Amino acid sequence: MRVPFSYLERQFPSEVVEPIFEDLRMFIKTGDFTLGKPLQEFEKRFGDFIGTPYALGVNSGTDALLLSLKALGIGSGDEVITCAETFIATAGAIAGVGARPVFVDVNDEFTIDVDKIEGAITKKTKALLPVYFTGNCPDMPRILEIAKTYGLPVVEDSCCGIDAAIDGKKAGSWGIAGAFSFHPLKNLNVWSDGGMITTGSEKFARKISLLRNHGLINRDEVEIFGLNSRLDTFQAVVALRLLGDVKNITEKRIANAKKLDQAFVQLADYIEVPHRRANIRHVFHLYMVRAKNRDRLLQYCNEKGVEAKVHYPIPLPYQKCSGELGYKNGDFPKTERDCASVITFPAHQHLTDAEIDYMIETVRNFYTK
Amino acid sequence: MRNIPYINLPAQHSSLKPAILKAVEKVLDHGNFILGEEVGQFEEKIAAYCGTKYAVGLNSGTDALILVLKAYGIGAGDEVITTPNSFLATALAIQSVGAKTVFVDVNADLNMNPDLVAAKITAKTKAVLPVHLTGKPTDMAPILDLARSKNLKVIEDAAQAIGAEYQGKKVGALGDAGCFSLHPLKTLNACGDGGVVTTNDQKLVSRLKQLRNIGLKNRDESEMWGYNSRLDTLQAAILNLKMDMLEEWTLARRQNAQIYRKLFSAGKFPDFLELPQELSNGRHVYHTFVIQTDYRDGLQSYLNDKGIGTKIHYPIPIHLQVCAKELGYKKGDFPVCERTCQRILSLPVYQGLKEEDLDYVVSTIAQYFNKGVYHG
Repeated sequence: MRVPFSYLERQFPSEVVEPIFEDLRMFIKTGDFTLGKPLQEFEKRFGDFIGTPYALGVNSGTDALLLSLKALGIGSGDEVITCAETFIATAGAIAGVGARPVFVDVNDEFTIDVDKIEGAITKKTKALLPVYFTGNCPDMPRILEIAKTYGLPVVEDSCCGIDAAIDGKKAGSWGIAGAFSFHPLKNLNVWSDGGMITTGSEKFARKISLLRNHGLINRDEVEIFGLNSRLDTFQAVVALRLLGDVKNITEKRIANAKKLDQAFVQLADYIEVPHRRANIRHVFHLYMVRAKNRDRLLQYCNEKGVEAKVHYPIPLPYQKCSGELGYKNGDFPKTERDCASVITFPAHQHLTDAEIDYMIETVRNFYTK
Repeated sequence: MRNIPYINLPAQHSSLKPAILKAVEKVLDHGNFILGEEVGQFEEKIAAYCGTKYAVGLNSGTDALILVLKAYGIGAGDEVITTPNSFLATALAIQSVGAKTVFVDVNADLNMNPDLVAAKITAKTKAVLPVHLTGKPTDMAPILDLARSKNLKVIEDAAQAIGAEYQGKKVGALGDAGCFSLHPLKTLNACGDGGVVTTNDQKLVSRLKQLRNIGLKNRDESEMWGYNSRLDTLQAAILNLKMDMLEEWTLARRQNAQIYRKLFSAGKFPDFLELPQELSNGRHVYHTFVIQTDYRDGLQSYLNDKGIGTKIHYPIPIHLQVCAKELGYKKGDFPVCERTCQRILSLPVYQGLKEEDLDYVVSTIAQYFNKGVYHG
């Protein structure tokens, strides 16, 4: 049996695609391709969904972070604190505005260790950038307290965290800005790159709307040097159809994760399931656990058709691109442990019960036979 | 009264719609939305069209400029020479990598005046960035000679000029790198943002491919900090269709320009109007057909009243924009550019126009001048 990691081959059967094509047919006729009406409608509905008065479509999750940092005036000589265990784009956005990424180790749940943040703050620190890695929530209430004490803005990397929440308050609604990705492998996905910035601040929203569109205040006048980073209206047409499914997708992923948790808890000698908190809505963009003999388990699963993956084998501070930052082995013990032991299993909304059972059986066989 | 919009994207797309949707459906079936095979196909097609060895698809024309500057290591402390009458993106690309934009004035044809470049070169200059504005090639030979002797990169802003030629070569193949926009308002247009770089420099290609993909060398390893700036597979699929029509569209625009010229020369108002001139050794592709007149504002509003859409590319030069304050320029620094900004007017020239549309435009302009409206 094959248990695919990506659900893309199953997500768009004709009954899902036809209505989207119908919308696209109408849309193409209008020629309204850049910052068009469907984009404005999607922004409004996405803002409502997250619970922020403003949402602005940009070209990618990476750009959502980059533009947010730019809007805060962060650049050369500044430092931004983020989590050592994340996708490269988090730190890439910080480096992209010319600032220095300052890494903090993770806790046992793949999010930033809040007890280590204050030790990383210096005079040059200009923002905190916690990450909803795997779809889990960092301790936002604590992070906001620290931010308040030091007068720092908080930008949420909620690229993996669409529909995640703490006590019902959604990812992307805590800080000055929430950065979302609509990459094809995200829980809300478009048919290309895409991203969104959510914010409660009118001033910040205005800055973003300038930055994403060359700094133009109207067709002819330019207030600031900006960039070109707009969510294609074409993709907003697609997203408008898919937005309504996000809640169901999340529920299905949570249910799948629960089944996997229950099975893996019985293999506690080999697999460590992270602690799950009752007040946190973890959306399982990635279903990730720590496993003994990870590399061999990965190979075994792949041979048996279970498309498990590793997110990610090399800690970000030790990538070649981080060389200039001067970190060394031993600086991030938990991140290092995770990179050597984590494995991600498919948990997406299109898995069947038989596939989940087969996956569990495969893992059990690896350890016990 | 006729209604002639400045541009008509719905008309362009209504005949293409079935083919576009089919191409979209194909992408949907393979699901390879990011850097799928259509992107590579498009890169090959456009490189072949421009006559370069390579092309790299990116998220926009702006990003094409930014990533090329980055890839050449141009940043803080460096200077790049360009013109002040371009679309803002040209200067913002230079500013956004941390370098300083140094402007030189243009000729009356709106392109860089090559005679003024040498005086602006300092020890900090790293590149010259001429803009083939309106779809007309810049007079590149003196710029290329100068750049070679001073060891400077030449980066062409060819955002408006796909298909333009200079001394038998296509723009984008003249300098070290050519930067194109595939924005919906361009002649070769995506249904969203898009851009591409053409070049013969293999090292540049490999750096651009990492820079556009978050610096990733493979799924797990990263050698440099990069960006996310990929041409969408979907847009590439649509562009592949349009590539086959590009030459036809370009010829239709040139034909329209030809018709304008004929109609204007038959009229009685050459004193009031200057028509765009072509280089004897270049092909103008008329992204815009820009006339110049001292009575621009009155003429524009008259045409508007008569149902004719026109635009001004661009009314405020970059050096006088609020964002450019830090560069320290002032009014009067670039007299030719500043004068043209008061006089230029872009007439509709897109490929779907009919001869009677053009005739209506020209006779309406004639009406404006013959009625003497311009005096008051």
